[in-house]
Amino acid sequence: MGVIDQIVESFSKYKNRPALCIRKETYTYEDLSQSISDIRLLIREHIPLSHKHIGIMTNDDVETYATIFALWLEGKAYIPITPTTPLERNSFILNEVGSNFVLSSEKVDGYDKDYSVLITSDIQSAEINLEPSEFSESNLAYILFTSGSTGTPKGVPITFKNLDSLFRALDADPRHKIFSEDKCLQMFELNFDFSLVTFLYPLLNGASIYTIPKDQIKYFYIYKLILEEKLTYLVMVPSVIHYLRPYFSEINELEVRYCCFGAAPLDADIVLEWKKCIPNAILYNSYGPTEYTVTTTYYSLENNDTPKTRNGVVALGKPLDKVEAMVIDEFQNILKPGEEGELCLAGSQLTSGYWGNSQKNKESFFTTVYNGKEQRFYKTGDLCTMDEEQDITFIGRKDFQVKIRGYRVELSEIEFYAKEKLSKTNVIGIDITNDLGNTEIALIIESDKFDVSDLEKHLKNKLPDYMIPTQYKFIKEFPLNANGKINRKVIKNIL
Amino acid sequence: MDIENIKIKVREAFVKVLEHDNFTLTDQTTAHDVDGWESITHMMIISEIEKSFDIKFKLMSLMNMNNIGDLIQTIESEIK
Repeated sequence: MGVIDQIVESFSKYKNRPALCIRKETYTYEDLSQSISDIRLLIREHIPLSHKHIGIMTNDDVETYATIFALWLEGKAYIPITPTTPLERNSFILNEVGSNFVLSSEKVDGYDKDYSVLITSDIQSAEINLEPSEFSESNLAYILFTSGSTGTPKGVPITFKNLDSLFRALDADPRHKIFSEDKCLQMFELNFDFSLVTFLYPLLNGASIYTIPKDQIKYFYIYKLILEEKLTYLVMVPSVIHYLRPYFSEINELEVRYCCFGAAPLDADIVLEWKKCIPNAILYNSYGPTEYTVTTTYYSLENNDTPKTRNGVVALGKPLDKVEAMVIDEFQNILKPGEEGELCLAGSQLTSGYWGNSQKNKESFFTTVYNGKEQRFYKTGDLCTMDEEQDITFIGRKDFQVKIRGYRVELSEIEFYAKEKLSKTNVIGIDITNDLGNTEIALIIESDKFDVSDLEKHLKNKLPDYMIPTQYKFIKEFPLNANGKINRKVIKNIL
Repeated sequence: MDIENIKIKVREAFVKVLEHDNFTLTDQTTAHDVDGWESITHMMIISEIEKSFDIKFKLMSLMNMNNIGDLIQTIESEIK
């Protein structure tokens, strides 16, 4: 059954069950279906049939979630833009996909001039109707924009066929199954593709989702939800447990049965400590580029106190069902198990390519014969190894690999040894160009200033001389992007 | 330590983390009223206050802290 059929079935089957919990207010599947139906009417009255890509302002309310479903049932794709993003960047996105419309639950300033803004709250009520008016699995479900190396965002279009393939792959592994009794954390902005797993997957299965109000201290609010609402199913970024770590001794939550991480490297030492805080949960690491529809691999930490790691970071795990994964060298030769190279992915979760960007598509996608058939692969830019058991381990971003005096250097390796010395302190390595135009390594430490001579001694004991940082800088708190990943670009700019 | 001294030290922690002093802290002040006070800087401010008062907050009290008044009150009970 595809996503659209599952929405129709799940929303009526569970109509009296809670679907969303936002700011302690609960909305049932029937409330959600009502809001969807009202917004469908608004869409039909104002947006021409031919207009397929519609901007949606991602507020934290039932109307915003309902708008996504309403657009889908009307045969349209959603293009999320966030209220905190500058108008100029949001306009770039809307113009790229040719959207003249923005749907928003709240008034938005500055958009009226160039776009028709349709307000989705307090609107005319319609009869509940969840039947799709026009549907094909080749329809786009959404287009998400990821930051591009040239400074302009790249659009990643995802079809219902892509989404259906993702959920079929998840369903094929019963360990990830969500039940209608589950209470699931939804901590992500809707312009982040991980949100498809945290809002859509629970709702397809009759479970309820709990969101984080944008004005709350995220990390404490998540814990508050776990504690007070007895959440059972958590999907988070590693920074959550990084910030909660000083308080682990006070956390013992028995109701959590599932906890999955993703979107950033997961440190083994922290996650093993966290495991004791939620003793009844099975923990996972996961991985997947936006281009490959959210999730590609899982690594289970069940009964596993010595997980596979590389530089202290937990492995990404095995590809999901029907995911074709291979590791290649720079000449596109497929590498043997254990050899380091770039991870490439093929299969029906793969995007058709970047939106209107043939140059980038030529660089990132290629077709080759693999497992006896011709397949189109995406080059992830992630340097990995795949072992005999098909477990993939992350080494670093291809673009974080730098050349120092002709040697190839992985910044993550330097970070690992620095962290080993400075326990519980975050560091990142950054390549900088010195006055003579040479590349050097600066180590950025998330801390107040201190004497680095011991650290330097440690690194010199562990690493070849060309890998020793020439500069040490201190930043009190690393800037994160909206999704909790360390924003290396911003740090580089600060330097 | 009296309340006034606590307030002075709390303000110092805010200034140190936020790197500006363009705010007034009253009991009713929340993150909404102070430029730059959000999830991540909040964690830094808490850690700075723990250092400067040599205390360790309980997760439970941090979770229920809604404004400066709650913060001051928690510090007061911790240093007693």
